[in-house]
Amino acid sequence: MLREVEADWPSAVSADLSAEHVTLSDDEIRERMSGNLCRCAAYANIVPAIAEVAR
Amino acid sequence: MNPFRYERASDAANAVALMGQAPNGVFLAGGTNLVDHLKLGVRQPDLLVDITHLPYDRIELLPDGGVRIGAMVRNSDLAADRTIRLRYPMLAQALLAGASGQLRNLATTGGNLLQRTRCVYFQDVSKPCNKRVPGSGCSARDGYHRTLAILGASEACIATHPSDMAVAMIALDAIVRVLGPNGERTIPLVSFYRLPGDEPQRDTVLEHGELIMAVDLPPLAFATRSHYRKVRDRASYAFALVSVAVAIEVADGIVRDTRIALGGVAHTPWRATKAEAALRGAPATEEMFSRAVDAELADARPLPGNAFKVPLARNVLVRTLLDLTGEEDQS
Repeated sequence: MLREVEADWPSAVSADLSAEHVTLSDDEIRERMSGNLCRCAAYANIVPAIAEVAR
Repeated sequence: MNPFRYERASDAANAVALMGQAPNGVFLAGGTNLVDHLKLGVRQPDLLVDITHLPYDRIELLPDGGVRIGAMVRNSDLAADRTIRLRYPMLAQALLAGASGQLRNLATTGGNLLQRTRCVYFQDVSKPCNKRVPGSGCSARDGYHRTLAILGASEACIATHPSDMAVAMIALDAIVRVLGPNGERTIPLVSFYRLPGDEPQRDTVLEHGELIMAVDLPPLAFATRSHYRKVRDRASYAFALVSVAVAIEVADGIVRDTRIALGGVAHTPWRATKAEAALRGAPATEEMFSRAVDAELADARPLPGNAFKVPLARNVLVRTLLDLTGEEDQS
């Protein structure tokens, strides 16, 4: 996921596809987890954990 | 799972030749749909011809200003491509709305076009399905058809085409470039898919052994103002109940030109030619948008379980037209 963000790959929740850089918001993290990690809603700490690694 | 032979094609001509000798063979690209079907028994080919390594993995600019997308370009790479994002944003949005990251990393452009319906009865070999076993009957018509077609269906089949990408491509007048036993030919995407009629087993006009090499997108300047909107049961990783792809050009409050397609409503990605014709030259107002969309949906023949799709398609399409033209007014 972090490599995709580094490569500026947009996602379905990216508002502006012409943007040069992706900002890894919580919505972006959730969308990019989709299909990778199950039960993301029940395990709320996964999103902050990804955000922490991204920082 | 049934046994099958596996051949790795040395080049495109070899792939076509191998398939020509195997009436029950099938090409293997990303495999994201085909491998499921092999496991489920939906398809039982005796030969897989692997084409994943063929050199059709480039996105090239064409002299006329269009873009050629190789059949092996992965959905992820196409969605991330800067030319696609800037010139045809609805295509990038459609790709990103489809499947999941892992699937998009594998799925190819050609394979995406050729994926089969997700009708539950097509995928369940214990149930009759005219698309899977011609003449066996349709379980969906009197069964679970909430996700199925409201336009262009037949007594034999009410399946929907599952692709998001193809909806945007059909709105963009994409052209499919094919290599077959008799050489190359080009097929406009709008006539590439077929309605089910009494041969629902045939999704497209491709003949056995024909290989997709590329998809060409003609230039369309106003596609920079385009949008793909998808409505589904959950926000991610689900097929469309209804989706719309819209590009529109407005000047002085008048619709100069537009391209509109619907997904999740028919056996094919549905090009909304009636709505387009009604809008060209018309004032860009909500009333005109509604009237144009109603003209398109007047042909809808929903079933009890999917009647909700008619107002849903209407509202999503009108809303998307308003969103695209509202920004125009402000600029």
